[in-house]
Amino acid sequence: MTQARVAASVEVVPVATVHAARYEGLVTRAIAFAIDAVLINAVAIVVSGGVALTLSVLSVPDSLGTTLLAVGGALFLAWSAGYFVVFWSTTGQTPGAHLMRFRVCRADDGSTLGPGRAVLRLACLTLAALPLLAGFLPILFDDRRRGLHDMLAGTVVIEAAGEPARSA
Amino acid sequence: MSMAHIYPEQILGRAVSAGTAAGRAAVRPAASLAYTLAEQAIDRTLASGLARHAVSRALEGPLVDVVAGDLVRYAVVERVMDRLLAEGTVEHTVDRLLDGPELDRVAAHLRARLLASEELWLIVEEVAQSAAVTEAIAQQGQGFADEVAGRMRTRSRSADAWLERAARRALRRPQP
Repeated sequence: MTQARVAASVEVVPVATVHAARYEGLVTRAIAFAIDAVLINAVAIVVSGGVALTLSVLSVPDSLGTTLLAVGGALFLAWSAGYFVVFWSTTGQTPGAHLMRFRVCRADDGSTLGPGRAVLRLACLTLAALPLLAGFLPILFDDRRRGLHDMLAGTVVIEAAGEPARSA
Repeated sequence: MSMAHIYPEQILGRAVSAGTAAGRAAVRPAASLAYTLAEQAIDRTLASGLARHAVSRALEGPLVDVVAGDLVRYAVVERVMDRLLAEGTVEHTVDRLLDGPELDRVAAHLRARLLASEELWLIVEEVAQSAAVTEAIAQQGQGFADEVAGRMRTRSRSADAWLERAARRALRRPQP
């Protein structure tokens, strides 16, 4: 039932439409990423605050405290990664991308990413950010506005349906 | 002068004229006296409270209903209003009211009374909690958020185009 609902919500863009689509640029994608970062951190802060308050009334040994800190860090990483992977592989849009009206899809046929490709794109995104964000510079020059992570994962970022196309 | 030339009807006419003049001379002081007496009688009647009593009795009785019926039957109010409108009295009165301090005074009084009344706040609370109002506020908020997001999208896409032009110019790459 849930799978059917997700499948119904997934937008499949025909190949011809992918090539005719309007690709999103660096600034728009950066704003969407900033919105997503705010959401991720807001949820993490609320949850970690709740956990910290709960632990403050319990007498936790120092060694356990360090372990909990490590577990918390791992959970934060998992939450951050899961956020992107789940949204990219279901609707193709994170909340930030939804607000900026664009979606991530496969470059070859315009379909929504599978979980594996979404994980690959996230790993490549991290790689692209490592050399002082130099991996994002190709977005400025590429004809399809692809960053290093898009090229490696075989994805493009296109304007979502419902928004009339504008000439750049 | 011989009396033979005076006809009897002339004699009668002169006698009537003389009588009328004499009568007028006699009646003038009497009328003046009657007027003074009537005035005094009215003053005394008004001072005695008799008039008030009479008016009170008249208002208690069916007179008011009769007068009201006649006012309606003969369309007195409409006729008076037509006349007032035709002569511009209504406009003049409205202008005077709007220009004068009375309206401000009445408005201030009404405002003070309204703000002091508990019923007003109950009505405001009821209206604020109504489904239609909350839905309208939610729609307005959503419309505002959509508008802000739309402007942000437009500007970000302009910034994209500008940044790409600048980057291509800096690296001497051909513009798309």
